[in-house]
Amino acid sequence: MDFFIKHLLSVLIFFPAASIFLLLPINKKNQGVLRNLSTFLSLVELIFSFYLFVYFKQDTYKFQFVEKSSWIPSFGASYFLGIDGVSLFLILLTTLLTFISLLSSYRYIKEHVKEFVILMLLLETFMIGTFASLDVLLFYLFWEFMLIPMYFIIGMWGTGKRVYSAVKFVLYTLSGSLIMLFGLIYIFIMHYNQTGNFTFNILRLYNTNIPSGLQLILFIALFLGFAIKIPLFPFHTWLPDAHTEAPTAGSVILAGVLLKFGVYGFFRFAIPLLPEAAFTLAPFVIILGVIGILYGAFVSIVQKDLKRLVAFSSVSHMGFIMLGLFAMSVISINGAVLQLLNHGIATGALFLFVGMLYERMHTRQIKDFGGIAKKAPVFTALFMISVLASVGLPGLNGFIGEFLILIGSFHSYPVLTVIATSGIIFAAVYLLWMFQRVMFQGVTNPAAENFEDMNLREIITVLPLIILMFLIGFYPMPFLERIDPTVLHFVSMLNHHNIVYNVIKLKTGLSNA
Amino acid sequence: MHNMPSIYGMNFLEKSMLGIIPETVIIIFAFFVLFLAFFEKLAKRNNSYYLSLIGIVFSILYVLMLAGRNISGFYGSFVFNGFDAFLFIAILFSGLFTVLMSKDYIENSGMPAPEYYSLILFGLSAMMFLVSSNNLIMVFLSLEFMSICAYILTGYIKDNTRSTEAALKYFVLGAFASAFLLFGSVFIYASTGRLNLYGIHSFLQNVSYLGVAGSGGSIGIKVYISAGLILFLIGLAFKMSLFPFHSWTPDAYDGAPTPVTNFMATGIKLAAFAIFLRIYSLIYDFNVMNFNDILWLLAVFSMTFGNIAALLSTNIKRLLAYSSIAQAGYILTGIIGGGFYGYSGTLFYLLSYIFMTAGAFSVVIIFENSNLISLDIKKYSGIGYKYPFIAASMSFFLLSFAGIPITSGFMGKFYVFSSAVKSGYNWLVIIALLNSAFAAFYYIKIIVKMYMPDKEPAAASSNSSVQGNIPEIAGGAIDEGIMITIIICLILTLFMGIFPQIFINFANNSAGFLWRI
Repeated sequence: MDFFIKHLLSVLIFFPAASIFLLLPINKKNQGVLRNLSTFLSLVELIFSFYLFVYFKQDTYKFQFVEKSSWIPSFGASYFLGIDGVSLFLILLTTLLTFISLLSSYRYIKEHVKEFVILMLLLETFMIGTFASLDVLLFYLFWEFMLIPMYFIIGMWGTGKRVYSAVKFVLYTLSGSLIMLFGLIYIFIMHYNQTGNFTFNILRLYNTNIPSGLQLILFIALFLGFAIKIPLFPFHTWLPDAHTEAPTAGSVILAGVLLKFGVYGFFRFAIPLLPEAAFTLAPFVIILGVIGILYGAFVSIVQKDLKRLVAFSSVSHMGFIMLGLFAMSVISINGAVLQLLNHGIATGALFLFVGMLYERMHTRQIKDFGGIAKKAPVFTALFMISVLASVGLPGLNGFIGEFLILIGSFHSYPVLTVIATSGIIFAAVYLLWMFQRVMFQGVTNPAAENFEDMNLREIITVLPLIILMFLIGFYPMPFLERIDPTVLHFVSMLNHHNIVYNVIKLKTGLSNA
Repeated sequence: MHNMPSIYGMNFLEKSMLGIIPETVIIIFAFFVLFLAFFEKLAKRNNSYYLSLIGIVFSILYVLMLAGRNISGFYGSFVFNGFDAFLFIAILFSGLFTVLMSKDYIENSGMPAPEYYSLILFGLSAMMFLVSSNNLIMVFLSLEFMSICAYILTGYIKDNTRSTEAALKYFVLGAFASAFLLFGSVFIYASTGRLNLYGIHSFLQNVSYLGVAGSGGSIGIKVYISAGLILFLIGLAFKMSLFPFHSWTPDAYDGAPTPVTNFMATGIKLAAFAIFLRIYSLIYDFNVMNFNDILWLLAVFSMTFGNIAALLSTNIKRLLAYSSIAQAGYILTGIIGGGFYGYSGTLFYLLSYIFMTAGAFSVVIIFENSNLISLDIKKYSGIGYKYPFIAASMSFFLLSFAGIPITSGFMGKFYVFSSAVKSGYNWLVIIALLNSAFAAFYYIKIIVKMYMPDKEPAAASSNSSVQGNIPEIAGGAIDEGIMITIIICLILTLFMGIFPQIFINFANNSAGFLWRI
């Protein structure tokens, strides 16, 4: 047990990959066995990840569950894992959503089940690895390979223009990642030039002295990589396509986990590595975020396709998170991190419901729905809760996150925060209007007459998310008290940089005078 | 010359012979294989195939036995040290893969087998001679030896007009390039009075320390040696298929029998890069001219041109040919980056390049052998479901070409790019990275064809239509030689991508010898 806890992160990373070997010998035709076994394995993984939560010490900002062993000494890269309060919850979200999306695909995925479950488990390995690695090269390895399983999931089981969407998704993200790689290599070489040691240890790279002019250039390089993943406003064009054409499980993972990597990248790499540039460019990033909030909301209002609507709502929600992160106050970053979870939970749930609608009616056009509420009361109730959580109704999780973000950012960016707040109103407009058109009104589509209510498997699929919505909505303390020390340390580290930066500016100003 | 024997001691011939044992073994086996052709009974069956495999394995064993030594033989014309050991192993692996994937191909095309295998072996020995040659004349001779083998092999399918055309094109252009190389050597000899590379090295060192080259006092030397080095570079750039000298590549790769294409793409490229690396580190580095700028341009154009042309090609062999031009550009990045780090990165990349290329060509050969699928990329549609293992391996090799992590291609790229950043070539790296992103598109295009075929309206929901298009491989048997190649390549590509340290150590050790004169 002691060994298990000590190497828990490695276990979490490699358990899904190892479980692929269990699935490989099973005959393709045994779809039921494949589905059940893979779901069971992801459940085991989820249970393993609870140990992280239980054994996580909440009174320290230091990295926990640290594992370190040498990997490529020539590059100074090591197998260095560890989590803090932020990555803890993101890993929990990953294991939960992988389980849920495997459970949700029983009906949706009919062909090539074996390939599908293998890719999902492979994807889980790489997602957890990305959140857990503290070595830049290791991080990059996990980060970029993650694209490949996702690409196959969209391309092989998607609908409509799936190949186009999959290729667009890969190329867009890959271009960003490669530019980011340049920035990371540059910082790595710079650290070598200063100390004479090759190292990819992120904690050591934090200490690299980078002149502020260069920081701006490098920040832009990293920014492109992360902003495309989030996606921030002008880089969002891959997202609606990928989300719309992906199978339900793909959309859930994409919205629930993959989008979080961008924010996580800013939190872990871009801002601490290049703090001065982050301070200088923060207003621009926030402006892009706020444009994203409004743009996403406006575009959502006019969408005709359900999935596209939810996809654009993601653009809007991610804008809030960027606002919170770059406002750089303790409260707003706490809110941003919590909102990462909330968005994963609420949007994941919305995609699940849209997927169920599609499975039953084989359409995603809003105009084809209507009058479903009478036929399927359970479905309506649970869907309603998810919609309201996404809107940000008090008592549900979305409210807590957005409220913290807005409070925290108001001090530094009052005008932008006020503009951003209107995004919540628009969220109510597009989501509730959508809900009204889909669930209420008269029946326009004869297929809706035989609309089945949710079965037990589907209820189990969404139930964890619904519970979490209420839990975070009413009692967010278990989450916030684990996130808080990390964020506190993050902000104090930044403030320290900021003070030094201002002192240098002051001194150079004086010497000029 | 009078003091040479005293340097080598009494038995300098024996010592010299020791340095070329790996080549000698290969040549002996090549003659054995050739003798088989005299006896009709022996020529049939696969005797020559097994015999050449044994020869290559023996040669690898000899290289491993010699690996620790540092031998200079034949009055300094040949050297054998750690650098050569690394590259010999790599070249022999390339030869091994080529032979392994040839068996069914040769039988199907009805070509005489013993001559084919002996040419491959002769070509291999020529590559090894080229790598270890340390004298301008030896460089030229072994380069010509290697090229002549390659010309004949390219045109080996006699009845096929494409093959003949490819061979002729390759020969005419190759002859030109050799002329350039020879002309360059003449200039270098004229200005330095030395043919031995170490001799030229020390001459340039003295001249540059005395400041003669830069002062204008003897402008003649500078002009002659610059002209010589440029002409020499052109000759080698042809073999490395860098941009303006690449025009033979797609035709020759396309027309040649596919195992020979693999031989050209891995072996010849490796040997050419190896000798270029040796000469570059010895001579070009003296900054007679700013050769790094010239290489910079060559690298950028090679990558960009190779990728754009690959994007437009619909034939898989041509696509791989263009992609190999682009890969040559990436490899050159390491040489431009220079220094210990850069050269070691170049060697690492070259090694990883062999495995991914050999793997990709084996998959092409499997489908070509059974006449199931033409070389048109469109015909690869739906293979992913029919042949899961082969298609998955092909995807993995393509991802490695594209430089996606956990493949050796990523580690190689990372290595050479970081060496270039280290030397301050930031723009080169940015261009190279953008190129990689661009290149990913056409590699992924093939994966799309294999796994995401356009569903036909008649059978949109099932994959039966997809399977209907692709007949079974005749007899259901894939030649085990090709399967072994694929498996070795797969394992090494993955292993070099995840645990590269052991290979980096080899490359480091090998690159270190470049300075040990």
